[in-house]
Amino acid sequence: MITFFKKRPYILFLVPGIILYTALIIYPIFSAMQLSLYEWNGIGPKTFVWIRNYVELFTDDFLMSQFTNALGNSLKLFALTVFIQTPLQIIFAYMVYSKMKNHRLAQITIFAPQFISTPIIVFIFRLLLDDNVGVINNLFRIIGLNALAKPWLGVPELGIFFMYLMITWGGIGVGMTFLIGAMNMVSVDGLEAAYIEGAGYWTRLLKVILPQIKATIINLILIAYIYAMTMFDFSYVLGGNTGGVGGSIDVMALFFYRIAFGDSNPVGGKISSNSIGMGTTIACVLFVLIFAISLLQIIYMSKSEEDR
Amino acid sequence: MHRDLKSISAQIVRWIMLLYAGFNIAILIYVFYNSLRPRTDFLTNTFGLSTNLSIGNFIEIIVKDGFFRYCLNSFLILAGSLILSIFLSSTVAYGLGHYKFKFKRFWKTYFLIGLMFPIQLSIVPVFLITKQLNLINTFTSVILIFGSSISMSVFLLTNFFANLPKEIYEAAVLDGAGEFRTFVQIMFPMASPVVFSMSILTAVNIWNQFFVPLIFLQSDAKKTIPLLVMKYTKKLLMTIDSAFAVSILATVPILILFTIFSSQILEGIAEGGVKG
Repeated sequence: MITFFKKRPYILFLVPGIILYTALIIYPIFSAMQLSLYEWNGIGPKTFVWIRNYVELFTDDFLMSQFTNALGNSLKLFALTVFIQTPLQIIFAYMVYSKMKNHRLAQITIFAPQFISTPIIVFIFRLLLDDNVGVINNLFRIIGLNALAKPWLGVPELGIFFMYLMITWGGIGVGMTFLIGAMNMVSVDGLEAAYIEGAGYWTRLLKVILPQIKATIINLILIAYIYAMTMFDFSYVLGGNTGGVGGSIDVMALFFYRIAFGDSNPVGGKISSNSIGMGTTIACVLFVLIFAISLLQIIYMSKSEEDR
Repeated sequence: MHRDLKSISAQIVRWIMLLYAGFNIAILIYVFYNSLRPRTDFLTNTFGLSTNLSIGNFIEIIVKDGFFRYCLNSFLILAGSLILSIFLSSTVAYGLGHYKFKFKRFWKTYFLIGLMFPIQLSIVPVFLITKQLNLINTFTSVILIFGSSISMSVFLLTNFFANLPKEIYEAAVLDGAGEFRTFVQIMFPMASPVVFSMSILTAVNIWNQFFVPLIFLQSDAKKTIPLLVMKYTKKLLMTIDSAFAVSILATVPILILFTIFSSQILEGIAEGGVKG
């Protein structure tokens, strides 16, 4: 017995990790797939219904409208990240990388909200945007633009954008710091050559740096996609179980939560006899949505590895 | 090299960043100032200067609500999860990176799967497992969940251990150290910079985690700081004095720590990002 492990010492190193990781990360994925084939609420009788949960999810108007609304909002968050946050992160990172004056101060204060928890971020934005005590409305009133003063967070069409603003304010720093790390790896020789050839400050970013930090940017975009699909806390804190007025800030993870755990809520009431079955069904659809994109990313990464 | 940072466009971007930074500082001061005001004072005279500043709101949160208990809860969860995840990920990564054996590729891929399946999605089965083990409403459940999410750390550390020169290991074994002692006393300490940068990211994530504690910690005595904050910020105007105070208590100590260690933390994260 002892000689067996003496010859294979790696087994002892791997076993604790394999056990816990399998039990809490891998097994639940398969278990969720299996549970999605049952009609069950966690306590009562468990009936095998084959793929009927999936059929119901995609044919029931009530569920489907929530699904498309939540998926649309999640995709909006993702699009906003790619088109607004990522470019901002690149520009900010480049400024810090090239050591502008006060770059340290800027980096620290822009990163700091990362350490502020979601309910406080939401609270801070309420202080800015609230109708009565909000700073922004009062500024409008002071400069005489009373018509512009509104209960901003109560406007359903704007909900997703304000929520996005909060997410970005809280989370812009990590990606920015990743990018600074990647920029530090870019060889200085190429930059110097471009500088001597007369390439301007921003041209060097576009032509020399960006191609070399492509992998980090693609990674950030994938992280943003997974985040948009699984983000829960901002929607929940801002809009409660239902995801705001008319589901204006409902997202996929909140939809999943409402169906699987939100039995006390009238919205979840309709399928509460099948909360676990339908909940895991939604989770599995989300698995597929995330897996498909991750796979694309992995194929791309292994291809670019071969090119090198 | 960056002499053309003086160009107008670069200066405009610089001022935007500094304004942004100034806004962040101003908002913190605004919240701090208002945390010293009684509720009626804030509501009736929101933007006026107060004559009635006191630390009463803080005392209320600390004494009546037992704020430090929530701190302790958050801290225990963070410490437990970090210790568990560092132990699991470094042993697994050492096993995968250092040794050669059959099916190594399989296990490497196996540990990457977790990156693609965030815990939120498999929470129902995890909930059922913890319920069967009678671990609902215990820190153990949350610590086990956070501590087992090791995909990213395993990935980073495996590469590190694989690239360590074999001579160090061989010298230690020649000296008569066993496999485990070689790992604990020689190989693991060499990885500590990577472990540090990895732990910073993990720690930030765990500290602010909302979803898992919300589901698994149901009694008030077990709740974490974000869940306490939620109690006061939910009904904005009714409890706004407490909301101000609790926001400051939950934020300022962490921000001070961050500012003190900012260069190590930011460098650690920058390095972690490059390797990931």
